[in-house]
Amino acid sequence: MGTQLETSFVQQLQENQNLIHKICRLYTNNDDAHKDLFQEITIQLWKAYPKFRGDSKFTTWAYRVALNTAITLYRKKSKTVNTVEFDNKLHKINQEEYNYEEEEHIKLLYQAVQQLNDIEKALVFMYLEDKDYNEIAETLGITEVNARVKMNRIKGKLKKILNP
Amino acid sequence: MDELEKLKTDWKKNRDNFPRFSEKEIYAMLHRRSSSIVKWILIVSILEFTLWLGLSFLLKDAKSVKMIDSYGIDFITIPLTVISYAIIVYFVAKFYINYKKITTTDNVKTLMDNILKTRRTVMIYIYVNLAYIFISSFIIFLIIINYDSNFISLHKKSEANGNEAMFYIIYIISTIFFLAVFVGAIWLFYKLIYGLLLKRLHKNYEELKKIDL
Repeated sequence: MGTQLETSFVQQLQENQNLIHKICRLYTNNDDAHKDLFQEITIQLWKAYPKFRGDSKFTTWAYRVALNTAITLYRKKSKTVNTVEFDNKLHKINQEEYNYEEEEHIKLLYQAVQQLNDIEKALVFMYLEDKDYNEIAETLGITEVNARVKMNRIKGKLKKILNP
Repeated sequence: MDELEKLKTDWKKNRDNFPRFSEKEIYAMLHRRSSSIVKWILIVSILEFTLWLGLSFLLKDAKSVKMIDSYGIDFITIPLTVISYAIIVYFVAKFYINYKKITTTDNVKTLMDNILKTRRTVMIYIYVNLAYIFISSFIIFLIIINYDSNFISLHKKSEANGNEAMFYIIYIISTIFFLAVFVGAIWLFYKLIYGLLLKRLHKNYEELKKIDL
């Protein structure tokens, strides 16, 4: 299909695409924008790929490029379209496993995160991905202490959004 | 359990039914065009450089420039031309160096810094150009006063009529008016283009800076 480099890149991205989808989910609110951002991240990852040496995991390397694309490089094409509908669609899950109430709560949580600003979303994303504060701070270019302080404020902000 | 912990539990289950892309689809994506702001900044900046350069080439043939050439004042016009080329070479080189520094594997703040630095290079280039236009039009103004036969005869006429001051006022006001319209148009262009392009970046940059205050 292409060069060896292309093939190995496509394979790794295909296997790990969930990571990119998760970022797209936080930063976009409809199918088209989601796909559009996914594509831009793919292009940026591919551009950076020749410098990826493989001494870290593909996902560890990729999430930084993906976050940078979502926060800084990506130009939003369309304005907000019904978030709720999109979230419902993404959450078509196995109903037997979860009770309705808990499911609703999780949905509200996702919607609350959607209301955060771009930088706050990045912090939440890394937190959810179990990155330690040292790495969160380094990825954003802020100090570790301030990353912790900010994270606590975000928790407070989410609480406020959920219980106005 | 706090809200984010609940979310984390759900997050880790990986149960979202995202539209999984096939290898073929991803392969196709690699060959699509990027529409990142960095690319737009590059396009707009190249347009700016060529516009200014093109303008100076176009003006070479303009009547007024030929007229100035006919005064035989190479000792002024040649240094002015050399300076204008030196300016463009310096800024294109600086732009290129800054542009090369933009890498998506940097941390978020450094990436933003580098993009803004690249942008600033072109902004400074425009300011320098505007200053250059102001200074050179002032020099040309002085040249016209001293060398241009039409101007000298007009001046003499107004002197004879006793409204010399009026003559200067009209001349100066019309020059300032022309420059103001010119600068205003450029300013508006910038507000529009970069307002649209960099609004989000500026907002996020400020947000990041606020965290580290």
